[in-house]
Amino acid sequence: MPQRLTDLFVVFNRDAVLENITARLQAGEEPLHLLDDCRHAMTAVGERFQTGEFFLAELILSAEIFKEVSNLLETRLSRQGPAESKGRVLMATLRGDIHDLGKNILVTLLRSQGFEVQDLGVDVPPAHVIDKAREFQPHFVGFSALITTAFPSMKEAVALLQEAGWRDRVKVMIGGGVTTPAVRDYVSADFQTTDAMEGVSYCLNMSGGK
Amino acid sequence: MADNGISSTERLWAAIRLEKTDRVPIVPTLLPEPAAHLAGISPAKVAADNAVALDAILQAFDDYGGWDSIYPGSYTPVQLQASNVNPLKVRIPGRDLPADYMWQLAEEEILESQDYDTICEMGIDRFYYEHFLGRISDLSTEDVNREIGALFTTFERFLAECQTRNVPPFFMGNGMHPFFTLSLMRSMVAFTKDLYYQPEPVERAIKRMTADIIVSQIPLARQSGLGTWLFTEERASAYFYPPSIFERFWWPYTKQVVDAFWSEGIVTIFHLDQCWDKNIPYFRQLPKGSFILELDSKTDIFAAKEILRGHACFHGDVPAALLSIGQPQEVRDYCRLLIERVGEDGGFILGSGCSVPCNVEPENFRAMIETGKQTVG
Repeated sequence: MPQRLTDLFVVFNRDAVLENITARLQAGEEPLHLLDDCRHAMTAVGERFQTGEFFLAELILSAEIFKEVSNLLETRLSRQGPAESKGRVLMATLRGDIHDLGKNILVTLLRSQGFEVQDLGVDVPPAHVIDKAREFQPHFVGFSALITTAFPSMKEAVALLQEAGWRDRVKVMIGGGVTTPAVRDYVSADFQTTDAMEGVSYCLNMSGGK
Repeated sequence: MADNGISSTERLWAAIRLEKTDRVPIVPTLLPEPAAHLAGISPAKVAADNAVALDAILQAFDDYGGWDSIYPGSYTPVQLQASNVNPLKVRIPGRDLPADYMWQLAEEEILESQDYDTICEMGIDRFYYEHFLGRISDLSTEDVNREIGALFTTFERFLAECQTRNVPPFFMGNGMHPFFTLSLMRSMVAFTKDLYYQPEPVERAIKRMTADIIVSQIPLARQSGLGTWLFTEERASAYFYPPSIFERFWWPYTKQVVDAFWSEGIVTIFHLDQCWDKNIPYFRQLPKGSFILELDSKTDIFAAKEILRGHACFHGDVPAALLSIGQPQEVRDYCRLLIERVGEDGGFILGSGCSVPCNVEPENFRAMIETGKQTVG
C-alpha cells in the first residue's frame, strides 16, 4: 500500500492520492500511519529532485497534494495528539520585504518531512523573532528574502538572537534568490541556499536525519 | 557620451553586433528606487511621481560620470499597473508601506482558470482593462488615462535628456513573456497546477498572447528606431520547470516572437532572472545577433558565453548582493573578470545582475561604472 501511494505522488495524481487516503481511512487505518506513508512518498519525490529527475515545480505539486492530505487528516490527528516532530522551525521574511513565495514553499516542504513549523509571515520586525523563539523554542530559525533590503534585518535578528542567549541553541538558515554565501557571512547565519530542498536536507541532516 | 572618438551608440551597437571596440559599453539597470537611494530621495517620492523618478535616474547618471545607455525607468508602480506592464497588486511606500520601503508586488491568485479562454476570445489587452485591472486596483478609466498621459509626457523628456547627454535609451517597447504574465496573474502555485492538470486552456492563452505581443509591440519598437525591445521572463527556466514544460509552453512562442522582431531588424533583450544554465543551449536555435541575454547572476554567465560565443550578446551580471554588501575592490575584481572572459571577443555589455539593488553602496556603484570605463576589453 505505501508503494502504491508513492507511485501516485510521483506522477502528481492528486485525485487518486485523495481517493486512496479516503478509502484507507474508511477501512479503519490509523491517520498517523497514513501521514507517515505520505511522508515516505514525499521523501521519494525529494530524492528524485536531488538527482535532477524532478524540478521545483514538481516539488511544489507534490507538496500541495501533501497539504491537502494533511488537511483531510487534521481533525482525526488532533484527536490522537501531536505526531512525532523531527524538529521545530521558526520561519519569517523580515522587515523591508513582503515577498513570501519561497518561504511558503519551504514551509510546506518542511511540514511534509515531519517538521513543526511556525511561520511568522512577512515584514517581520527582528525583535519579534526573539519573542517568538522564546515561546516556540525552535531548533532552526529561517529567513527568506527576495530583495537585498532584507539583509540588514537578517543581520539584526541574528545579533538579537545572540544578545538573548539564543544563538547557540538554534541553527540560523537564510535563503532566497538574492542571497549568497557572502550574505550568510554578513548576517552570521549557519547556512544559505537558493534551493528549498537543500534547506529541507540541511534541517534533516542537522536533526540527525530522523 | 563619447570618449576615444567612439560614441556610446556606436559602442553599444558594436557589442550587440558581437564586435569589439575600445571598451565594453556600460548599462546599469538603474530603476527609480536605487536611483533615488543614490540621489538621496525617499522611495515614497519616486513611487508617487514619475517625473521625480526620472530626475533621480538623471541625477545618478550625472553624479556618477555617466554611462553608455540609460535603462528606461521613468514610471511609478501605479503607472505600471495602468499601462498593463505589472498585472499584480502593488504595495506602495507612503501609502501601504513605510516611506523608506521600496514598492513591492503582492502576488495573489487573481486570475481564475476560466479566464484563460476569455483571454483567447478578447486578447490580453481588452481582457486586462475590462476584466482584470479592477481586481488588482481601484483605478478608474480617468485614472488610467491620466497615468498613461504622465508616462508619455515624462518619456518624451527622457528621450530629450538622453539626447542632451549623447546616449541612447537602452530599449523602447517592452513586454513580459505570456508564460510569465499568466504565472503572475494566476500566482505561481496555481499556474503550475494548471500547467500539469489543465494545460490546454493555458496553451491557448499563451498562443493568443504571443500574437498580441507581436501585433502591439513591433510597431512601437519600429517607430522608435532604436532597434531594441525588452522581453522579460523570470519563471520558465529549469530552476522551476522540466524541459517538457519549457518546450511546450515557452520555447516555441519565444522563437516566434524573436523571429517576428528580427524580421524587422529589432533585437530582443531577454531579461532572464533565476538560473537558466540548462536552458541556454536552446538559444542557439535563434538567429545569430538577434538577441541579448540580460542575466541576473544566478545563471553561470561564463558557461553561457562558451555555449553562445559568437552568437549572442550578454548583459550583466554584477550580483545585487555584491553591490549592496560587498566591498568596492570585490566589485572591481568581478567587473574585470566579466570584461576579460565574457567580453574578450566582443558581445558584452557590463551591467548589474537584474536591477541595481535599492540599498546599493554608492562606492560599489561607482566602482562598477569606473571599472567598466577604465578596463580595456
